[in-house]
Amino acid sequence: MMDKQITSLHPSEEPGCCGRNEGCLLEIAGLFVHAGKRTILGNVSLSIKERQVFGIVGPSGAGKSTLLRAINRLLDLQPAFHVEGSIRLRGEDVYGAGVDPDDLRRRIGMLFQQPVVFPASIEANVIFGLRHHRRLRREEKAAEVESALRGAALWNEVKDRLREPALRLSVGQQQRLCLARTLAVNPEIILMDEPTSALDARSTDAIENLLHVLKRDRTIILVTHNLSQARRVTDWVACLCTEQGEGRLLESACCDAFFSSEACQKVFEKLEDS
Amino acid sequence: MRRLADLSVTILTAVCASACIGLLIVIIGTIAWRGASAVSWNFLTEQMRLAGASGGIFYNILGTLILLGTALTVSAPIAFGAALAHGVYLKSPRSRERLMMGLHVMNGVPSILFGLFGLMVFVLFLGWGKSWLTGGLMLGMMMLPTVAVSLSERIQTLPHSTIEAATALGLNQSQIVWSVILPQSFGGWMSGSLLGMARAAGETAPIMFTATIFAGATIPPGIRESPVLSLPYHIFILAQDSFDPAVGAKLWGAALVLLLLVFFFSLAALPLRLKLQNAAHDG
Amino acid sequence: MHSLPKPDVNVKLVSKTFRWNWTRIASLGFTLLAVVFLAGMLILFLWQSLPVWRHSGVDFLFGGQWFYRQETFGVLPMIYGTLVVSAIALCLSIPLGVGAAVFSSEILPSNFRLPLKILVELLAGIPSVVYGLLGILLLRNWVYTLLTPFDPLSGDTLLTAGLLLGVMVLPTVMTLSDDALHSVPAKQRLAARGLGLTRAEAIFHVALPQARHGIFAAILLAFGRALGETIAVFLVVGRQDNTLPETFFSLRPLIEAGQTLTSKLGGSETHIAYGEPLHWAAMVGLGLVLLAIAMGVTFFASYFTKPKKETDATTC
Repeated sequence: MMDKQITSLHPSEEPGCCGRNEGCLLEIAGLFVHAGKRTILGNVSLSIKERQVFGIVGPSGAGKSTLLRAINRLLDLQPAFHVEGSIRLRGEDVYGAGVDPDDLRRRIGMLFQQPVVFPASIEANVIFGLRHHRRLRREEKAAEVESALRGAALWNEVKDRLREPALRLSVGQQQRLCLARTLAVNPEIILMDEPTSALDARSTDAIENLLHVLKRDRTIILVTHNLSQARRVTDWVACLCTEQGEGRLLESACCDAFFSSEACQKVFEKLEDS
Repeated sequence: MRRLADLSVTILTAVCASACIGLLIVIIGTIAWRGASAVSWNFLTEQMRLAGASGGIFYNILGTLILLGTALTVSAPIAFGAALAHGVYLKSPRSRERLMMGLHVMNGVPSILFGLFGLMVFVLFLGWGKSWLTGGLMLGMMMLPTVAVSLSERIQTLPHSTIEAATALGLNQSQIVWSVILPQSFGGWMSGSLLGMARAAGETAPIMFTATIFAGATIPPGIRESPVLSLPYHIFILAQDSFDPAVGAKLWGAALVLLLLVFFFSLAALPLRLKLQNAAHDG
Repeated sequence: MHSLPKPDVNVKLVSKTFRWNWTRIASLGFTLLAVVFLAGMLILFLWQSLPVWRHSGVDFLFGGQWFYRQETFGVLPMIYGTLVVSAIALCLSIPLGVGAAVFSSEILPSNFRLPLKILVELLAGIPSVVYGLLGILLLRNWVYTLLTPFDPLSGDTLLTAGLLLGVMVLPTVMTLSDDALHSVPAKQRLAARGLGLTRAEAIFHVALPQARHGIFAAILLAFGRALGETIAVFLVVGRQDNTLPETFFSLRPLIEAGQTLTSKLGGSETHIAYGEPLHWAAMVGLGLVLLAIAMGVTFFASYFTKPKKETDATTC
């Protein structure tokens, strides 16, 4: 499935990783993000295939989080940000006229660096998004909660205390609860913004193991600054770096090729130092 | 010399601060000392007799509570509306600023003018006569700025990450308002309302033309045309001819009850305010 | 491993159905209600007072006589009374309030600051009718005894009302000044002390100058509260019409009964006036003058609080 050759992408060239019919899910072309007068992302083009873990690495300030937030249009919340270029989800322009960003975000879930749980019970947190998308009957609710929590490998730890406040969970458990909450909405893409950087080793393991299961049905776009994590879990990696104050795409390649790529060695050294 | 100046500043300002505290102690002490003998269970549960010289103040307390309840009900939806308009719906900084300015202006309107407005519109123009509803409406509009500002301050300190997380789940704006913003800013509404009620409880000027009479009202039988008794107006009338010593003790008793009611509201708001303040500092 | 349902790929991106956003409509509607209330108040006062402006013109503002049976309406004595009473109140509350604020914000250890402020806010919460009661039963007599050498007619004087108001607005001055002082960054004080300034010098050269806008706004807000206060003033001011002094710098009126805008409005004349269009218009005109002064003070105060917000933003 995965071709093992380096596919270098230079901003001027057409993104050419996957053919149009080869399960290309998300197509980003000529993406610029401006914040006021500053340019945060300059001319990023990427193609992301279905059912894989797509890693984005790079130094801090290279615009990794901004790229993620551009994909599910979370940047809309901050009026200072301005997006140019196109992002296509299965051929449909995400920024096109008439697109409801809320419906878009149901298809593209997101996990943040710090777990954000709502001050409510565990159960209420799991169905926090789902109960707004469709009406749930009581037995349906219980089934959805169990399914989502099992999907996030949290069920066994919390099944006896679903009505307790979610804020009592450990940070690692909270992050998995956030994952369960996202899974309950059942999106086909999950954006993860350094989801393990706030967690201890055990919780990190748990999340990484989940990635292997989740990618059977879903696509995961994982931002990480941890190169060994990228090596462990990703199928394809893109590297962003800072040039003249703006984030540029340096390389996008399948995992093995990426880590032997010369162009990226410098960035690796820099990342491993920090 | 410099040391002396330093010391004298410390002493002078300490005297000012102790004067403030001293005033508080003297005022509370005076009222408690003179009023305590009048306050008893019967005083609180009996109705007034002999124009205040005998009996209790049950219907006065009841009337004040009815007015406060109405004010709370009236101010809540408008305060939530204004706070959401400020925090969520109004996009241009200019209109948000104007809204806040309007609330500040409203806060600065002397309370007697609310009374005069109520008198003109409801009592005379609509012909309701003195009505508890008018009094509640006016007190509600009077406490509105306090509630709305407290609420919108709370909404502004809500962490952005919470709203971002809810948005990322695909919730639309209304759903976020109902399931994230409103539940999490409830404390701001509570503390603002308690402070507003503490102020409204003691107000006489907005209700004396519009809602309250001195004697002869019990539980209001109707919605629009029924006046009530109230604590502040009771004190206000009795204070003007307080030469009968029998009235005197009852008068101080009523003042003590009113003071306790007001302090109850402001102290009840305190834990919430401290909690919100800490949350604002940590967040 | 548990298997999840297949992801939902059928969610349509382009939604064609338009739905009313009721939350937004309700929210903006209620806001509009508040705006209409405020605007309506202003318009109503203007409209209802029109006859008196037609009848007296500017003499309504600058006339010194108020005899409603002769249809002579001049507000000046009441404006004078209001200003004098508020001025006395500020003379009392500014030194005490700012002094106490300096003590709580600059000298008192920080964990005592909050308890002190809570106590002062309790003082602010005491209802005006209770202050009025204290005024009528205690302060009035004290002032009368104090003024015996000057042979006053009674204890109901502008001075009594001013003193009572001074105590009432003291908490406003104190807590708001304290907030203003507290928002001066601690670094600044530390730097000043590092230069060898004493605490008093740091207060006078760093804290107070930087907080001056906030303190000024506090004073203005206290002024606004003082001139709008009705009940306490009503009970002790004497409510004597037409007491404009011969010269404006005479101190004599201080120890005589007077009338303020609010005490006039709070009196029984408001009820008498209804039914006689001109008299009623004059009473509403009083309200309009009061409203205009209060709004002016609020606008002026907000002008002084704005720079403070900017410094806040940069220090955070």
